[in-house]
Amino acid sequence: MPTGYSANDLVLLLPEIVLTTGLLVVLVADLFTGRSRQHWLGWLTIGVLVATAVPIVALSGHATTAARGLLAVDGFGAFFKLLFVLAAAITVLISRQYLEVEQARPGEYYFLVLCATLGMMVMAAGIDLITLFIGLETMAVSFYVLTGFLRPNRRSNEAAIKYFVLGAFSLGILLYGMSLVYGLSGTTRLREVAVALATQSDSLALKLAVVLVAAGMAFKIAAVPFHMWAPDVYEGAPTPITAFLSVGSKAASFAMLLRLLLEGLPAMAPEWRGLFYVLAVLSMTVGNIAAITQGNVKRMLAYSSIAHAGYILIGIVTATPRGVTAMLVYLMIYAFMQMGAFGVLALLRRRDVVGDELKDLSGLFFRRPLAAFAMLVFMLSLGGIPPTAGFMGKFWLFSAAIEAGYVWLAVIGVLNSAISLYYYVRVVVFMWMREELESASVHPSPGVAVALTVAVAATIIIGVYPAPLFELAEASAKTLGMAPRVLSLR
Amino acid sequence: MTTVLRLIPLFPFVGFLVNVFLGRRLSKRVSGGIACLAMLASFLVGAISTWTLVQRPSDARVVDDTVFLWIASGDFQIPLTFRLDPLAALMVLVVTGVGFLIHLYSVSYMHEETDGEYARYFSYLNLFASFMLVLVLGANFLVMFVGWEGVGLCSYLLIGFWFKKRSAADAGKKAFVVNRIGDFAFIVGMLLAFREFGTLDFREIAFEAARLSPEVTFGLISLMTLLFFIGATGKSAQIPLYVWLPDAMEGPTPVSALIHAATMVTAGVYMIGRNAALFSLAPITMDVVAVIGTATALMAGTIGLVQNDIKRVLAYSTVSQLGYMFLAMGVGAFAGGIFHLYTHAFFKALLFLGSGAVIHALHGEQDIRNMGGLRRDLPITYWTFVIGALAIAGVPGLSGFFSKDEILYRTFAGGHTLLWTVGAITSLLTATYMFRLVFLTFHGERPESAGSTAHHGGSDHGHGGGHGPAHLHDAPPTMAVPLVLLAIGSVVAGYVGVPHALGGANRIEGFLEPSFHPVAVHAPAEAGVGGGHGETAAHGEESPDADAHGGASVELTLMGVSSLIALTGIGLASVFFLRRRELAQATAARLPAVYRTLLNKYYVDEVYDATVVHPIQRTSERVLWKTVDAGMIDGIVNGAGAFVRGSAALLRLSQTGSVRVYAASIFIGVLLVVGYYLVR
Amino acid sequence: MTIAFYTLAAFILALGVLVVSTKNTVHAVLFLVANFLCVAMLYVLLQAEFLAVIQVLVYAGGIVVLYLFVVMLVNLKRGPETHVDPRRRDRMGLLIGGAVLAEFVAILLYGFAPRATGAAPAAAAPGVGNVEQVGWSLYVDYLVPFEVASILLLVAMIGAIVLAKKEP
Repeated sequence: MPTGYSANDLVLLLPEIVLTTGLLVVLVADLFTGRSRQHWLGWLTIGVLVATAVPIVALSGHATTAARGLLAVDGFGAFFKLLFVLAAAITVLISRQYLEVEQARPGEYYFLVLCATLGMMVMAAGIDLITLFIGLETMAVSFYVLTGFLRPNRRSNEAAIKYFVLGAFSLGILLYGMSLVYGLSGTTRLREVAVALATQSDSLALKLAVVLVAAGMAFKIAAVPFHMWAPDVYEGAPTPITAFLSVGSKAASFAMLLRLLLEGLPAMAPEWRGLFYVLAVLSMTVGNIAAITQGNVKRMLAYSSIAHAGYILIGIVTATPRGVTAMLVYLMIYAFMQMGAFGVLALLRRRDVVGDELKDLSGLFFRRPLAAFAMLVFMLSLGGIPPTAGFMGKFWLFSAAIEAGYVWLAVIGVLNSAISLYYYVRVVVFMWMREELESASVHPSPGVAVALTVAVAATIIIGVYPAPLFELAEASAKTLGMAPRVLSLR
Repeated sequence: MTTVLRLIPLFPFVGFLVNVFLGRRLSKRVSGGIACLAMLASFLVGAISTWTLVQRPSDARVVDDTVFLWIASGDFQIPLTFRLDPLAALMVLVVTGVGFLIHLYSVSYMHEETDGEYARYFSYLNLFASFMLVLVLGANFLVMFVGWEGVGLCSYLLIGFWFKKRSAADAGKKAFVVNRIGDFAFIVGMLLAFREFGTLDFREIAFEAARLSPEVTFGLISLMTLLFFIGATGKSAQIPLYVWLPDAMEGPTPVSALIHAATMVTAGVYMIGRNAALFSLAPITMDVVAVIGTATALMAGTIGLVQNDIKRVLAYSTVSQLGYMFLAMGVGAFAGGIFHLYTHAFFKALLFLGSGAVIHALHGEQDIRNMGGLRRDLPITYWTFVIGALAIAGVPGLSGFFSKDEILYRTFAGGHTLLWTVGAITSLLTATYMFRLVFLTFHGERPESAGSTAHHGGSDHGHGGGHGPAHLHDAPPTMAVPLVLLAIGSVVAGYVGVPHALGGANRIEGFLEPSFHPVAVHAPAEAGVGGGHGETAAHGEESPDADAHGGASVELTLMGVSSLIALTGIGLASVFFLRRRELAQATAARLPAVYRTLLNKYYVDEVYDATVVHPIQRTSERVLWKTVDAGMIDGIVNGAGAFVRGSAALLRLSQTGSVRVYAASIFIGVLLVVGYYLVR
Repeated sequence: MTIAFYTLAAFILALGVLVVSTKNTVHAVLFLVANFLCVAMLYVLLQAEFLAVIQVLVYAGGIVVLYLFVVMLVNLKRGPETHVDPRRRDRMGLLIGGAVLAEFVAILLYGFAPRATGAAPAAAAPGVGNVEQVGWSLYVDYLVPFEVASILLLVAMIGAIVLAKKEP
């Protein structure tokens, strides 16, 4: 045991350790699994994720740090880790059938999904610049490969290369910002950074650092004007990966952003508040208006996810405990509804039909009423119609904004969610109100059925009875180091 | 008792679930029966609950049913609560009672649909009723909003029910989009109320509001209430958001009846009544409400005068009558407005269902120019329709008379002479266009050409089968029973609100009043002279107390005037459209501009298209999609003609314009922000 | 000291520009080598001798050799220009790049507040060797990120295999 570490660290790092072990097991097991029995790999991966969830839940009550203060073990991290595990599990469940159709080997695929999850967990728990960066990079590289996983598919390849080039570019910007933060504070540990910077908030170089960090993270959450990669990449990537990318990567980046801003840079709150105010407005507006004319559902959902990034940014602008709570709630809800929507799309993929154009959904209700019902729930929830979960999330975000005095931001948000319904409902129109296509019926595998059932149930139950999720999110948000201090700065 | 309330919306919801999931396997008889039973059960529970409510002393007529705590965060708590008070009770009875009759009517009206479609129809209908009941019973804004959005969604589904018909799908979309505008304002108003009062509960807000004095200038309360009113204009089809309602008759006729009479459109009026205490604090908003309501009433009345589609005339008459209700709200006669809502539900449902029976008999014909002389073939429909028309025209003795008169009297007594005059003119218009409809449809002779057009005109009811125009069938029993019941309702419903001037007790007003000013319940009203309803001082304007003796004679005079107006209107219609039809055409020919403007509904749809719809579409398509998006896709497709795997491809792709542009956009973003800090 | 730093910095910049502007790929890689070597000298100047050695070994030695291999094996030729006016794009790029540079210079000139706390952490403590310090930092302070980085490398390796291997 090296100096400064104890057996306690091993316990506190148990989720990461279990996951790392598990992903190696999956990688090795792939070698010893014959072609015919490869679906067992999917269930093995689910098993790994479940095993990871156990220590996460067990450790969620802690409020301490591990690994010499590089990783926080707190409710905030646990909340996000659970979200990632959940998103990864749904991804795996909706992947199997899709991979079979695409004739792709699942072994490395599952391994990479788990690696991305590990990266996300580090991003949510890290309270140190280098640790956060390594986590981000692990997640990003996994996604680069996963995006291009369908090698015979030209779109998939293009998407991967674009994502890689632009991702590297934005990481450069982020890293430059981080290096400035380090240079100005002399430490990489966020909580020490906060103390060091508390006295020099008027430095222009520090503002530059904040801008660069914000820009790098804004790329990851696909906020306008750093969003342009998202539609292309979302469209080209395998559908389950698009789901995971738009939920997991986004949530992890929001977690990291919250750590960076609230734990490391609370002194710069006036600066980044204004900055994210503008980004939030731009993202909501551009995302929604651009989504209106899309004929491809994946592309449409990509723009909608840009808009959702805008809604969630409202929580950062407020930077109040209630705002952060609302973000957590919304991200969890968003995970269910977005993954669910992509799950339905993945279900539509068949040998000869790509299944992501609007017309592919025509008359889905008459072919598969349950899938159409699920999609209806997800669309209404994304659009924020009660009594679905999406409405509760939006309501809480907007009321947090109003409470913090950002009335106009809330008004813009409401206006945007009104616009957004137009294109969500168009999907419903196609499913319910169009002639049905002459095509074979899609049979969901048990995995897809489980995933969709869970997502639908969660979307409705949270919409009808959101109190438990709110309480959990509130308790989790409280553990974020600096949140109360920011409030007092207001 | 306290946990019973949740059953009221639950019954139709269960009906919805059954029909949506099992509907395709059920026969029509079963799925229709389930839907009707669900409504009946809901009505019975509502009636029993109301009965027990009435047994209580008038200051304790509030029942809460908290299902669970919806959102709990520190000091903010929003429970999912249903609340029955006199206002809600009245609405519940209207929604479930009239709703049940419409369900019953639908059973045979929709019988030509396939089993699956039939079940789909009833599932929407039940869901619609369920959401409306949630709206009505909701004890706070959030619960109400659930219902509010829900009915919007269901109306979209129902109006677009025959989605293969393009106009129906478009009408559904229009209803949805327009409603969204209203909803937007509603949410913002709700958030402002949350910020201001720290609660969303209607009663608590009313208590808080009671401590405030009315705003003389435009303040926060005015803004809030104005936003709520915009929300109401969306739901209740007032200027400028009324455009969706006339198109909404593209749906099946019973749906029009449901939307126009018992549910949906009344939501806006109800919401203002629910927040009467808040609105009373904002005289500016009240004036806006009254003026918009009156203007809508007049405008829709004039349009209704020249329309030729039987359902479209009725649709504009709904818009016009809703204008009356808003006028009532705006002059502070909340009880009068709700009273009119209640009577209107009967006769408007009756008229729509009657028109449905006509359309049914004529196999889809909706143009009144192709009708005539139906009196002989459709006696039940004819007589019930006439009763409905008499009621809406405000002929003394029928329900519409009492409620309309109450509104006009209160307007006059409140000193709004101009509004009263316009209201009276509208009343004349109402009587005229309703009887134009009656005479053109049921009297005279049917044009020869009509029989042939009927078959392929079949938009609403497209079964062309072997019925000749000579054998017209009157409504079958399941359609006739609702018609007769509604006709009876249209006659007697008004007698709960016979004004004091006619020796009545205006019981409905006394019953409803505690709902509008819940504060007065706890602070016992000391003003015993009039012995009437609890007009609180906070009400602001000069108390238009109906009991003062001087008031009674004014009221009687006004009553005489409005009766005269109604009869004049009917007389005019009989001259123009019964005895000397050429006179009507001559008039139209002499005023071509006016006629065409009215026929084209003041060109409002066209103006909206040109100023709102097209610009948005163009922005989205040209600016964002064509330049930003499509250009790039083309670039990729062209550039990737010869795609080779491996690093060569990697390098080439990284050089295509798109990636560069993307990177540049990131860079420009950074540039702008840093530049901002530098300049600042 | 300062003069040496700015001279080196200028070299690094100039070489960087050459790397991206030269048309010949092999030349570009060679400029890259020179660039890396200059960076290594910068490390020496900052008394980080170990890092300098690593820089030479890993970057100038290993990675660039790999680049050269790839360049020579793949035998890149310029693909056909797919865009209307590449020069316009170049000018745009120059403009944006210039603007960003100008902003950063402005920040450096006007905005850089004197460093507040925390002396330069890279300054070697007397008595502790450079290598030892890096070792402590890497294997004790930053043990966990270091381990995660190993997973990152594994991902990169497997990813490369997945993307490059032939269809079975």
